[in-house]
Amino acid sequence: MPSAIVLADLRKRYGERTVLADVDLDVQAGEIVGLLGPNGAGKSTALAILATLVPADEGTAVVAGRVLPREAPAVRRVLGYVPQDPALYPTLTGRENLRFFGRMLGLGAHAAGDATDRVLELVELSERADDAVTTYSGGMRRRLNLACGILHAPRVLLLDEPTAGVDMRSRERLHAAIGALAADGAAVLVSTHDMEEADRLCARTVMLDEGRVVASGATTDLVGASGIAASLSLRTLRPPPPDWLDGLGSVRVLAANGTRATLALDDPTALPVLLARAARAGGEVVELRFDRPTLADAFFKLTGHTLRDGDGGGRAS
Amino acid sequence: MMRALAAAIGKDFRLLARDRVGLAFLTVAPIVVITVAGFSLASLYGAGPRGTTAYVLPIADEDGGRVGRAFRDALGRHEAVAIEEAASRTDAARRVERQRAGVALVIPRGASRTLAAGRPVDVELLTDPVKYLEVASLRGLVQEIRHDIERRARDRADRRLAHVRARMERTRVDFARAAETLAHELEALPGRLAAAHAATASRAHAVEARAARELRTALATATELQASRLSARLAAELGPLRRFVAELEAAETAFARWWRTVRRQAGRYADRLPPPPAPPRVPFAVSDLVRMDPDALAERLVGRSALPVPDVAIPSVRTPAPPALPTFHVPSLPEPPGIALPGVIEIVERSVTGAPERLNTFDQNVPGFSVTFLLLGMLLGVSLGLLDERDWGTLARLRTMPVALDVALLAKLVTRFVVGCVQMTLLLIAGRLCFGISLGPEPWALALPTAGIVFAGTAFGLVVAGLAYSREAVLPLGSIAIVTMAAVGGCWWPIDLEPRWMQRVALAFPTTWAMAAYNDLMIRRQPLAAALLPTGVLIAHGLAYLAVGLALFRRRGFAAP
Repeated sequence: MPSAIVLADLRKRYGERTVLADVDLDVQAGEIVGLLGPNGAGKSTALAILATLVPADEGTAVVAGRVLPREAPAVRRVLGYVPQDPALYPTLTGRENLRFFGRMLGLGAHAAGDATDRVLELVELSERADDAVTTYSGGMRRRLNLACGILHAPRVLLLDEPTAGVDMRSRERLHAAIGALAADGAAVLVSTHDMEEADRLCARTVMLDEGRVVASGATTDLVGASGIAASLSLRTLRPPPPDWLDGLGSVRVLAANGTRATLALDDPTALPVLLARAARAGGEVVELRFDRPTLADAFFKLTGHTLRDGDGGGRAS
Repeated sequence: MMRALAAAIGKDFRLLARDRVGLAFLTVAPIVVITVAGFSLASLYGAGPRGTTAYVLPIADEDGGRVGRAFRDALGRHEAVAIEEAASRTDAARRVERQRAGVALVIPRGASRTLAAGRPVDVELLTDPVKYLEVASLRGLVQEIRHDIERRARDRADRRLAHVRARMERTRVDFARAAETLAHELEALPGRLAAAHAATASRAHAVEARAARELRTALATATELQASRLSARLAAELGPLRRFVAELEAAETAFARWWRTVRRQAGRYADRLPPPPAPPRVPFAVSDLVRMDPDALAERLVGRSALPVPDVAIPSVRTPAPPALPTFHVPSLPEPPGIALPGVIEIVERSVTGAPERLNTFDQNVPGFSVTFLLLGMLLGVSLGLLDERDWGTLARLRTMPVALDVALLAKLVTRFVVGCVQMTLLLIAGRLCFGISLGPEPWALALPTAGIVFAGTAFGLVVAGLAYSREAVLPLGSIAIVTMAAVGGCWWPIDLEPRWMQRVALAFPTTWAMAAYNDLMIRRQPLAAALLPTGVLIAHGLAYLAVGLALFRRRGFAAP
């Protein structure tokens, strides 16, 4: 089966700044692929090129077998684009927005009405469909934003940070809706800097940093390939002696400051022994946190940047 | 507290300093408005800056006399007026009709003679009442000149009257003096006539005596001359007779001699010869007459001494007695007659453009301010609406959809166009109901400039949206554009207040053409045809703005590839 989305050696510059450099990726029909990276990594630019909003400088961009930007009009007929910020008419109702965008997507009046009802059900906004968008919460706007992009059951769906700033309940609903579209055969490319979202929603993840693909693959593969150990942060009642970890070869001190310590556990089975020794050496363990390695850790390991910060100044926790 | 206040003030100054558009608006916008208003209203107080606001005033001088020259000279010296010579009254009226001037001055034929004769003269002002201030200004100026001409004519008449009065007074004195002399002369005249009569009679007697003498002498001379002439005549007349008598006597002598010869020769036969016949005898009277001296003969015939000189009686010349002299009364001179002062100059105004003499100011204000707010709504509505769509992200979203972005733009423009047309129509209806504005002879013709300006304003909104990168930029850019177009284009005041160069600049603005059409239709009561050209220009403006706006939109990347 040919890929629904193909990017090959894609390059894009804005003035002197290189936004995308030799980006390769592909998305199959029915597949949800995450585009993970910090702010400024080039995720939105890649989506904008695929959404026919800006042309690439070099390389190939193919959507549903159509080459961009030459065949942009044909691409637009099969494309669903959900921008990062809700692109809605705030004084119109949800239904009016949907009907309008349905007509703009090429649906007839009747079909647009039917599609509106269908997507309202899908994003669970039927009860508020006739309220003005200005009265919607942020999560409701994002759901409506998604609904506007899927009215015509697109073969290719581009989602730019669809759940940013959305509460858990809305996020669950959005994820469910996106999953349903993929299940219907749509190729979905999701831009996000939320590792959990990528982990939960996407079968594959492509990591972007400073316009380059630094890694790609299934989430578990990416974390495992990073070689990052689980970490344990604890605080004891009194400072433990310096030699309190002697004999525990799978445990390394990452940071220590009085009663606080952050430890790397190369072997998680050593945890019970470690906790018992900490209680003895420090009097009592008053705080404890155990962190398994995530995509963010893997990203940090690969790039030295965190996912949250565009400048890469932070550390994964 | 004070530190916090200082920090807050510092923060606000920094915000202001970084709001370059706002600062530029605060600085540039007033300068633009001041400049536009200053130049536009340059003629409001009469004189214009740098003499650039002179009103054009065609003058048709049918009189060609003192009045016409006075008006022309006075107006020609005025810096606020640029006079043009019109060939005729028709030519002057045509210049006003074609809006090349707000007023034309006509000095009627014979004005100078009529005025000098003391009769009133109607000087005509052919006006376009729409150019109210120009008309008022020139009317005042012409009135001023009229009064000046009348005053000078009166002064001249006064001086002439005084001169005539003085001369008549001198004449009256001379006349009285002459009359007195005449009376004296008349009184002495009878004596002088009697003396002259006596002298004439004496001279007549002397002339008579001398004439008698001279007559007698003349008669004697004539008689003498006549006698000598008679003698000469008798001598001449008797000459042949005397010669005949002499020849006869010579012939008798010759015959006697011949006879004797014959007889001798005949000798013995002399006796046998009969005697010759006897010759006739010359009577004595004849021979005496032949021998008589002519003078004696004349004296004998006429008798010189006996010729009497006739006694010619010379009639005496009688000189008639002089007639009785008539009584002569010196008439008293009447007072000098009153000299008529010059007549007055009346200023007669006549509208030649169809506009009434008295205008309803709302006829100017309703369309003018309606166009202003229409532009405000169109320009800001379109540009801010598009920027809203850009900020909402809907514009980008639409670009990812099959329908071309131009369709969405066109839809926005059409919507604004319809709203603008409805808005303008409602404003005109409200103007009619509330302020009694004129809708002209064909109210539906107002739809043409309305559609034209709404189209141009809507398309111009697209240009502003294409030029302005933000809402903050739209407001100053749009405000300056609207203020400039409305003010210069004659929406806030009659465009004729503006200097000529600014009126020419104004032709680049759609507002100018819209207001020209509204003024023609509503105030000048022109038919539909008057709105065709302005509407065509407005549509051309709109199409140009549309092309530029779409190009700007595409250049800035709003549009799809």
